[in-house]
Amino acid sequence: MMTDPFMAVAGWLQQNAVLPVMYRFGWMQWEDLAFGWALFAVYGLCQVIVTFAVCMPLEYLRPVERWGNARAVFTDVFYTVLSRVGLLPIVTFVGFYEVQVHVSGFLVDHGWVPPTLELLIPGLLGHQVVTFFLYILILDCADYWRHRLSHMIPWWWALHSLHHAQRQMTFWSDDRNHLLDDLISALWFGFIALLIGIPPFQFPLLVLVLRFIESLSHANARLSFGRLGECVVVSPRFHRAHHGVLAAGQTSCNYGAILPIWDIIFGTADFSRSYPRTGDPSAEEALATGTYTAQQWAGLRRMARSLGRRTRQRVVAGE
Amino acid sequence: MTVPRRTMLLSGLGLLAQGAAPALAADPPVAIVMNSAGATISVIDMATHRTIRTVPVLREPHHWALTPDGRELLVGDASGNALFRLDPRTGRSLGHRVISDPYQLWFSPDSKWLVVNALRLNHVDVYDAQGLRLHKRFYASSMPSHLAFSPDGSMVYSTLQGTGKVVAIDLTRMAVAWSRAVGPAPAGIIWHGEKLLCALMGGADVVELDPVDGHTTRRIPTGKGAHIIFPSPDGQVIYVGNRVAGTITRLDARSLKVEHLYTVPGGPDCIAFAPDGMMWISRRWADSIAVMDPASGRYGLVATGRSPHGVFLSTILPAAARNRAVLGTFSA
Repeated sequence: MMTDPFMAVAGWLQQNAVLPVMYRFGWMQWEDLAFGWALFAVYGLCQVIVTFAVCMPLEYLRPVERWGNARAVFTDVFYTVLSRVGLLPIVTFVGFYEVQVHVSGFLVDHGWVPPTLELLIPGLLGHQVVTFFLYILILDCADYWRHRLSHMIPWWWALHSLHHAQRQMTFWSDDRNHLLDDLISALWFGFIALLIGIPPFQFPLLVLVLRFIESLSHANARLSFGRLGECVVVSPRFHRAHHGVLAAGQTSCNYGAILPIWDIIFGTADFSRSYPRTGDPSAEEALATGTYTAQQWAGLRRMARSLGRRTRQRVVAGE
Repeated sequence: MTVPRRTMLLSGLGLLAQGAAPALAADPPVAIVMNSAGATISVIDMATHRTIRTVPVLREPHHWALTPDGRELLVGDASGNALFRLDPRTGRSLGHRVISDPYQLWFSPDSKWLVVNALRLNHVDVYDAQGLRLHKRFYASSMPSHLAFSPDGSMVYSTLQGTGKVVAIDLTRMAVAWSRAVGPAPAGIIWHGEKLLCALMGGADVVELDPVDGHTTRRIPTGKGAHIIFPSPDGQVIYVGNRVAGTITRLDARSLKVEHLYTVPGGPDCIAFAPDGMMWISRRWADSIAVMDPASGRYGLVATGRSPHGVFLSTILPAAARNRAVLGTFSA
């Protein structure tokens, strides 16, 4: 019998590590969901390994920059492990579980049973790959606007600037986000899930590829996909322009995570900049080179300052 | 591993199935397996063990219920918020309808109601069996998972996995009769004689409950993570799947004493009984069904989709047509 190796590893983990721990601590009511997380962790670990195996040689052979001291990169490694191998998603899930139950329950009670794309668009049912790509298209567009708004709204930018403060951007930088920024993302996509449902989850390998593209786009590598390819998938060259020092802040470019098409359609694509320096010159040093905790605090301070400034402006304006 | 094939215990359902075999001649017996993490249903030829059809659903199919007339198999797609209708003889799709979070579902023995446990949303929903219109919603905190009816269909008992309780709902008054703490993470529940049997997934035992008020009258140790309870078709033995231990315990139905312990790793879950005496056991973490000979404990594996959960065998249809009550034995 052919066995999916990811499932085999996740199954072994579930039986020999996850379940005994859950049983020991009285969490067995979550055992079914825990298997989903075991699978998530296995795929996440695989993502990290594949990304490392591909991006590391690329960064070594075709670097945009070389640094004598790359200590700041280690913090990004921590962000990646926290996010991809599952700890952060578990915390988010547990934190939001009750909210999700109450919001969904309330809507269902009032006649809104969250649909799926296959129910909204007759004919999609049974075409799981097409459905999956349609979801990717919609969610990538939604992510474009979430990202663009995070640059436009001052207090949100204060949080998001943590992602941009890195002057030594590498493929590890993709998951470098403020916790509150991650939280807003979770709410954003939670809202969309109420409108169109969640994507089918039977294509974890495709998810792995998509997450790989996001990591690769942050790589410290001179890599372009060519004139046509640059318009199809976000490349390291395209995304580096977004992280360039001149693009940091409330007017930026190239917001797309996977597909550049949204930048082309909404007029924010910039294909002219080639491999600029990255970072946010206006960010305090802790956001760039601090430890994980220091960066999180610095993000909060910057958000508080931004909100305080806004309040003062209102007072001066007599609102 | 080869599957030992032998005919055993042609009693109860097995005899009924054989008696009605000509009616099934056109359609080979199939196993219909709900792949909860694959958004598909596998239709498997029971003779060759090959998948002959894969039915796409929306997201997360878990359990099934056969309509009172035996013409449709309803499969609950929990996070897809839909009920899929299948031909129970062939597994072919007959359509679907929107319904909120159908996790576990079953028709009352009097065929009046379809009761649906919405595990994610903490609801126990009672639908009119004919038109599947929502008749009454009970808010059941939290995580209602499995359910059982009293033989007359007047009561339904639902395990509340999240809060360690069982709730009893009086379907004649449409009111909660009682709610009682029974132990950590109660899961499978069945009516047994004059009592209820309930498996404690957070514990290592099955508790016997008095259906009048839910108090525990007896405790039967089975194995860590006792999850699901299935009586054999002849009613002589009861099988309990132990999720953490990776075992299945066989109990004598009369004395409730442990007779045997089978090792079935990979998250043993729902069980269906074939006329040849073999047990079809879904293995949640191993993408397969273990087809086990209960006499020897040896089993072979049948490939399925991701995380197989509910299992329906079309061979129960003749028995179901003759005797609705027998279906209580097979709720999955």
